[in-house]
Amino acid sequence: MTANKDFSGSSADVYNYYGTKPGEDIQTREAKKEPTPRAQKERQMYFDSKSSASVEFPYWYTRRWKQLEGEVAIIRRAEALKSGFEHLTPAILPGELLAMRKANYLRGSYPMPWLSEGFFLAKEDELYKEAQKSGKVSADEVTTMGQGGGNVTKSVGNVISIAGKFGLRKEEMPILINTAKEWFNKSVDDVGHKYEQLVPGYNTKEEIMRAVICMFDSGYTLPQGREVMNYYYPLQFGIEGIKNICKEKQDQSAGYPDMDRLYFYKAVFTMLEGLQTWILNYAKEARFMASLENSKDQKEEYLDIVERLEWLSKNKPRTFHDALQLVWIFHVAVLNEDAISGLSPGRLGQVLYPFWKQDMENGHLTKERTIELLECMRMKFTELDCFASMGVVGGVLSGNTFNNLCIGGLDKDGYSAANELEMLIIESAMSCDTPQPTLSLLFDEKLPEEFLLKGIECTKIGTGYPAWISNRVAMDFLLNNFKKEGMQLEEARAWAIGGCLETSPGSWMPLELNGEIYFIPGGSAPATSVGVHFISLPKILEAVLFDGLDKRTGRRVYPAHGSKLESYEEIWTIFKKYFSLTVEVLTLTNNIQHDIWGKVSPSIINSMLKPDCLEVGKDISHKGCRYNRTFNVEICGGVNLVNSLSSIKKNVFDENKISLQELKAAIESNFGYLSALETGSYSLIEQVKKKNYMDWLKIHKLCLDAPKYGNDDKYVDNIFKEWQIWFSKMCENYLSIYNEPLYSCQISVSTHAPMGAVTLATPDGRLCGTTFADGSVSAYPGTDKNGPYALFNSATCYNHALSQNSQLNMKIHPSVVRGREGSRKFLEMIKAYLRSGAFHAQFNIVDSRMLKDAQKNPDKYRGLMVRVAGFTQYWVELGKQIQDEVIARTEYEQIG
Amino acid sequence: MNHYDCKYYLNIDVFKGICKRDKGNINADDAACENFEKAQKCKHCSNFSLTANDLGVCMSKYDAYPEMNAVTCNDFK
Repeated sequence: MTANKDFSGSSADVYNYYGTKPGEDIQTREAKKEPTPRAQKERQMYFDSKSSASVEFPYWYTRRWKQLEGEVAIIRRAEALKSGFEHLTPAILPGELLAMRKANYLRGSYPMPWLSEGFFLAKEDELYKEAQKSGKVSADEVTTMGQGGGNVTKSVGNVISIAGKFGLRKEEMPILINTAKEWFNKSVDDVGHKYEQLVPGYNTKEEIMRAVICMFDSGYTLPQGREVMNYYYPLQFGIEGIKNICKEKQDQSAGYPDMDRLYFYKAVFTMLEGLQTWILNYAKEARFMASLENSKDQKEEYLDIVERLEWLSKNKPRTFHDALQLVWIFHVAVLNEDAISGLSPGRLGQVLYPFWKQDMENGHLTKERTIELLECMRMKFTELDCFASMGVVGGVLSGNTFNNLCIGGLDKDGYSAANELEMLIIESAMSCDTPQPTLSLLFDEKLPEEFLLKGIECTKIGTGYPAWISNRVAMDFLLNNFKKEGMQLEEARAWAIGGCLETSPGSWMPLELNGEIYFIPGGSAPATSVGVHFISLPKILEAVLFDGLDKRTGRRVYPAHGSKLESYEEIWTIFKKYFSLTVEVLTLTNNIQHDIWGKVSPSIINSMLKPDCLEVGKDISHKGCRYNRTFNVEICGGVNLVNSLSSIKKNVFDENKISLQELKAAIESNFGYLSALETGSYSLIEQVKKKNYMDWLKIHKLCLDAPKYGNDDKYVDNIFKEWQIWFSKMCENYLSIYNEPLYSCQISVSTHAPMGAVTLATPDGRLCGTTFADGSVSAYPGTDKNGPYALFNSATCYNHALSQNSQLNMKIHPSVVRGREGSRKFLEMIKAYLRSGAFHAQFNIVDSRMLKDAQKNPDKYRGLMVRVAGFTQYWVELGKQIQDEVIARTEYEQIG
Repeated sequence: MNHYDCKYYLNIDVFKGICKRDKGNINADDAACENFEKAQKCKHCSNFSLTANDLGVCMSKYDAYPEMNAVTCNDFK
């Protein structure tokens, strides 16, 4: 392969960097800590295990569902869930301090055909062929799945690979197909699809999906998630206590108007009975394991699990260990309700603090035991898998499940909320460095320096967490967004991150322990990131330049605009028109999908947990939550759009160096290079020239030399600002199913890879098929040449509180932040960025050459983690598209 | 019979697990040892009848499959 020397100005062996040229040797990260032997053993078991799917839950769910034809929908759903939970085979591994898991495998998960069944059907099946006719599978086709780690990439022996990710025992495939067929024309996907076709302009939606201008529908893929859990009710009342509340409320609503309340309470009661059986089945299994055990210590641990689970099947927790176990039970219970990514535990250190404080004060707990428990919790979260389509699991999530644990922020009264347990949470995240739960530090000026430096210590070792997030910007967004629903300053402080970076509203709930009241934070809104999901901005610009066509397939996506595009303003106007059409049609179709979700597959467990559903007797889909303005418009490739507009404005209109026709011809010729799909390399720094590349060199150079975002250059930053202001405002023109305006959301997750893969070369000089810039305010790799503070100035040229988030990823060489001085310098840099109005920054502290070595020798790097875009993932479980993009990111050798 | 069919087999993933008795690592599809005891699976239940390869019916009316764990099934007999 020939390196592209024209772009980077050097050979591809030398990566993009800002600052001093790095030395010869690969720099390692600062000394790492080791987990406790118990967690070490669990982590090794995790490394050795594969993602495994089972059919138990969907089988029993479906069997019960069929029995209840004609029953009230939410009761039918509750009974089906109950049956699923009651029949899960319990599996307790030796050494576990926290019991219970999603399914009977360590990395277990299962398909949920009540959401979407077509994916599970064999390719030769007629139903699958029918599904293929729609645009739904387009994103799957252009997604690459990680080839290492726990992914089952191919079928072997008695195991069938599904989507290159999940292994399924082959003897379970026939029943899976039969079970899936039961949901044909009944699943949320199928019923939603039936009715979304009634939306005027539906055909445009199909073409948008086929062109991968939109990544996926949200109603049947990941209908929940990107939200913050609320553990208050189980912690305060215990399961039997919640059942009593339901019984009381049931008596008050039976026969009275607004009868849906009756069915809701009955459904919650039924579902809780299922959870109780599930818990007791685990207790029974623990007793069986104890009966087989020769080791006295292990036998005692099993019997301790028996006692704890039997207690928690009815009662509120007594201790920190109890509380942590109960939190885990309800976290998994919600995950088993729907396909969910981004179910965040939120400010767990503040939720559990009362129990921890009690146990520490009475001498029942030590810091060492706390660390061990927290490490075990980390392993539990890391084991989580989400079973969804390849396009979603690989192309969006990169196999991650986004359980975000937040630390810091402010308490109800406006003081620092950081506590000693959170220091131990950071410590355990360093000693047991695993992708889940990822950490987000809610930065506020009131947080103690010691706490911030602990966060820096963690970031420095290369975990990719904590992400650094502005408490002030988030609260500004929340107060503006939820003021109509009554949010006040005090409650705005209860927020946390749901998913990777979704600002989510919360509430303070009064937990009573030992006669003392603690106001604990928790989520009080449904999924805060559903709706219009991942719109590819460069692809829309491509359609503008080519009169509404998807040039990759030749299909018409948008009505022809017929314009000659004779001015920059004309291009910008048509872009806005196409983008608006996209948002409009996707809002309407997704609203239908979510309406059907609420009718066919309403949330019961999560609804029960979220204030004020239990109080008012309404589930999430009936606006039972306290805050409901939660639908958004997510975008991808914003920086490539802005850089492209800058190039067009500069080269075509302001300086007349090339005509638009010449630029379009160069784009169609990929500036004389092979496409990334041909070379199998997805970053701009390693591409292969064609023989005629000289024909396009001049135009390509003009495109590459045009002003680029990230350099504090007003020419391009003003375009960026104009886009941001318009985008956030236009979202409010569209209403969600909850009759609330949408808001803007700016995270790429992993979509910048598959969306880049289907997009031609762009006017900024990016080549066909290569990955877009990650995040929302990260510079395109290699184009930020003026240092971090110039990048910060570009990033904060608009008000970040207009949007649910912004996202900045930076890659910093380990040598820059080494030692205590490096820590201070690093913290000051982060503070400077956040103080200037930024929302978020996250860091990869890594030598890029290590990543290149890891790409060549994955077996040597099983535990290597990198930060992608809002999440940390094992390197070996990332697809090549994302690996190439992370390697190509600009690496900072100086941060001063 | 294989480990996968044994009462003492504990799944780690679809390929392998550990023995609940001696805690040794074992492959699901390797031959079982002399301590083998039948796992509580549908194929060993009197309510189950095989209708096709890897498929059957439970209580003459529900689709089922022989390898399904029935350790949590109240109707297992």
